[in-house]
Amino acid sequence: MSILEVTNLKIHFPIKTGLFNRTVNHIKAVDGVSFQIEQGKTYGLVGESGSGKSTIGRGVIGLEKITSGKVIFNGVDITSKNSNRKEIRKNLQMIFQDPYSSLNPRKRILDIIAEPLRNFEKLTKKEEIKRVEELLELVGLSKENMMKYPHQFSGGQRQRIGVARAIALKPKLIIADEPVSALDVSVQAQVLNFLQDIQKELGLTYLFISHDLGIVKHFCDEISIMYKGRYVEQGTIEEIFNNPQHIYTKRLISAIPDMNPSNRDKQFRLRKKVQQEFDQRYHDYFDSEGLAYGLKSVSETHLVALQEDVEKVW
Amino acid sequence: MELDKKETQSQQNMEHNSTGLRILWTELVRDKLALVSLIMLIVIVVFVYGISFVMDQDEIVKVDLFSIHEPPSKEFILGTDYGGRDVFGQLIIGTRNSLSIGFIVTFLSGVIGVIFGLVAGYFGGHIDNILMRVLDFFQVLPFIMLVIVFVSIVPNYTIVAFSLIFTAFSWMGIARLIRSKALQEKELDYVQASKTLGTSHFKIIFREVMPNISSLIIVTMTLNLASNIGLESGLSFLGFGFPESTPSLGTLLSYATNPQTLENRWWIWVPAAVMILVLMLAVRNVGEALRRATDARQRKG
Amino acid sequence: MWKFIVRRLVITFPQLILLSVLIFLLAQAMPGDALTGLVDPNIDPETIEEQREKLGLNKPWYEKYIDWVGGVVQGDFGQSFRYKMPVTDLIEERIVNTFWLSVTALIFTYIIAVPLGMISGRYNDTILDSSIAGYTYIGFATPLFIFALVLLWIFGFHFQWFPTGGSVAPGLEPGTLEYVMSRIQHLILPALSIAIIQTVSTVQYLRSEIVDTKQKDFVITARAKGASESRVYNRHILRNSLLPIAAFFGYEITMLITGTIFVEQIFSFPGMGQLFIESVLQRDFSVVNAVVLLFGAAAILGALLSDIILSMVDPRIRIK
Repeated sequence: MSILEVTNLKIHFPIKTGLFNRTVNHIKAVDGVSFQIEQGKTYGLVGESGSGKSTIGRGVIGLEKITSGKVIFNGVDITSKNSNRKEIRKNLQMIFQDPYSSLNPRKRILDIIAEPLRNFEKLTKKEEIKRVEELLELVGLSKENMMKYPHQFSGGQRQRIGVARAIALKPKLIIADEPVSALDVSVQAQVLNFLQDIQKELGLTYLFISHDLGIVKHFCDEISIMYKGRYVEQGTIEEIFNNPQHIYTKRLISAIPDMNPSNRDKQFRLRKKVQQEFDQRYHDYFDSEGLAYGLKSVSETHLVALQEDVEKVW
Repeated sequence: MELDKKETQSQQNMEHNSTGLRILWTELVRDKLALVSLIMLIVIVVFVYGISFVMDQDEIVKVDLFSIHEPPSKEFILGTDYGGRDVFGQLIIGTRNSLSIGFIVTFLSGVIGVIFGLVAGYFGGHIDNILMRVLDFFQVLPFIMLVIVFVSIVPNYTIVAFSLIFTAFSWMGIARLIRSKALQEKELDYVQASKTLGTSHFKIIFREVMPNISSLIIVTMTLNLASNIGLESGLSFLGFGFPESTPSLGTLLSYATNPQTLENRWWIWVPAAVMILVLMLAVRNVGEALRRATDARQRKG
Repeated sequence: MWKFIVRRLVITFPQLILLSVLIFLLAQAMPGDALTGLVDPNIDPETIEEQREKLGLNKPWYEKYIDWVGGVVQGDFGQSFRYKMPVTDLIEERIVNTFWLSVTALIFTYIIAVPLGMISGRYNDTILDSSIAGYTYIGFATPLFIFALVLLWIFGFHFQWFPTGGSVAPGLEPGTLEYVMSRIQHLILPALSIAIIQTVSTVQYLRSEIVDTKQKDFVITARAKGASESRVYNRHILRNSLLPIAAFFGYEITMLITGTIFVEQIFSFPGMGQLFIESVLQRDFSVVNAVVLLFGAAAILGALLSDIILSMVDPRIRIK
């Protein structure tokens, strides 16, 4: 059963000008996106800055207003007004990109991690401290850190604190919005591995938002590529990386650097070929406004945005 | 590159935030002028409030027609006024009253301004728009005139009434400052995080955002204290400040509207004028030092 | 830009209406009404009641408000209860005096502010700059009325260089040169007291503006092209820094109003500010309302004017 089911999600931001702040147009940050996430899996959203991938995450958790579409979380439609917000909040948590600004600098670690507990569970002081201790231990920090302030920690440690806060209520789904992109490369792997560990331990589901295909390849089960608010391609890791269909996906994949210098020539030829295709067949992949077309199935799990009448060439 | 920059930047922000109050203090102590001002202020406050405990206020405001307009002497350190009242005593009580009203009004207008600014900045959008138009209106009105009109039509005129009227027209400056800061602050991830954690708007505004702008609030309120002392003395000078029975520094200065007093009896008004200047400069020095402390670019040494 | 101006105007009208409602409500809260000043208290109550009905004083408040606004628009502010004359006539005399006082104060403000700000900005962090900073430091903290008292004491009473009160020496024929000179002489000290205090923020603004502009690339380019130092300042820096300052005068109106209330009181200068204080003390409320309405409207329109001029001079200020 899928834990999150998003159907035709649209999030538009109004552009207001003129005398009376009339809405003259919309920026279509997210323009008709559908996907499902299975319990315990990791779903990756990939795209360049401004592609709308973060907006999807923020829309699902309620930080952005959803213009239209359906979001069914754990069997409940969270876009409908009379859904139980509290229960949804509890089961849906987020890890933020910037470990520096996402922790309130004026609060002790204890207060930061206990914030969700205080909102949802009535615990005594003793119970609360015990829970925070457990959470700190779970993310690999000692309990002596409880009375410290965020600035006394490194970026990686801070991100762990952010994770501890997100898992405090034992949520079902965690939206991770570029959780490692603000960290040093050496720390990135550490935090990613740790995220995978607690996923197994707590049976978490991740919606993983990233611009880094290299990370996504190792971290996710299924991914989708976004461009200008629309899906370009969606599929399992194998499908996307071994059999990319859309030129945009191909370009992204060809741009992943290869560590092995002997492959350099191969890489270079691949890029050249992709570039050539992009130049010649641009209009087969993008409409007159430069947007992606609607999705077409390639296989049961593999979808790609292509014009209806274009035949697969290679 | 971009990320690196962002990282160091927010790191700096955070360092300065988390130890903000301590930096305010070290900066204050390092700035000799501000330190001297602060010590002077403390001395004045302790002296004035201390003495007025011992002193009999009724005795001082009692009219004594046998000793009017006496120049400074052993009996009356600063002479007497047109009613034979001891000027030194009035100076002490006046300073106390002026300071008290300054504190009260600064506190009340600070509370209103901070709440108004936080709400407008945090919610933004239509709420912000409406609140800011209200603020614009209040800010463009001539403050002095409205206070005078209100003071003159309030039936039971008391110190409480005066403070409330004063407050009603002096919360806008701090509200505007706090609002623009709150607008920046609410975009930060820790506010977004609190929202996703199910924290209520009320708690986010006052428990999350407000502590992070506390140094701005302290600085602005200190600077407001100086200007409120000046405004109050101005209103009392015109005769629309405290009721007659409670002299303020402005009351003493208003005696100088009599040309005889202005020209020949300096002891009545000059000490009060000097006291107002000293108070305003001293409070200002402290406030400016605090402001430098919050603005890393201007920090000394 | 037109959009900005129109939107700014759209904000202004509600402000003016709000101001008039506020003053009207204040007037309702004030003791007495238009009749109190007119009738003999010995007339029997029935006749008074008749009169009230006739004058429309028994109408509901919103009808009264519309009547009142209708009168104000035609320049009818009612009767002064103390002077037994139309408020409009009473104000007419005073408003001219206050107008000239404000204009003189504004002129002095700019005469003082521009050179000081320029020197301070051009030679920043020199002794000259620090002495100007000393002046702004003291000026910022000194309440206007104390400063005016001191000026009056020193130059009016002690040195007797200037008259100590009034707007013109008695016995002079209007229209003669002597009359004009006397009026100017009466203006100088009050106007200077306002200007010297009011100028402080402008000096500081101009200074920081020049210090900022000095490091801008276009100024460095001008220098690099070999423009002389004075040309750099006159042509490149001042043009950028002075225009906003010139546009500030509308904002200064609120300060000027405060200034005139104090200064007219201290120099017994027969203007609007003095009229205001007198009327409040004598509870002549129809006059009070008229003065507050006029000053309030002046402040609102001043802010409007400055916003518009600034939006033309500096596109960055066109908020939203």
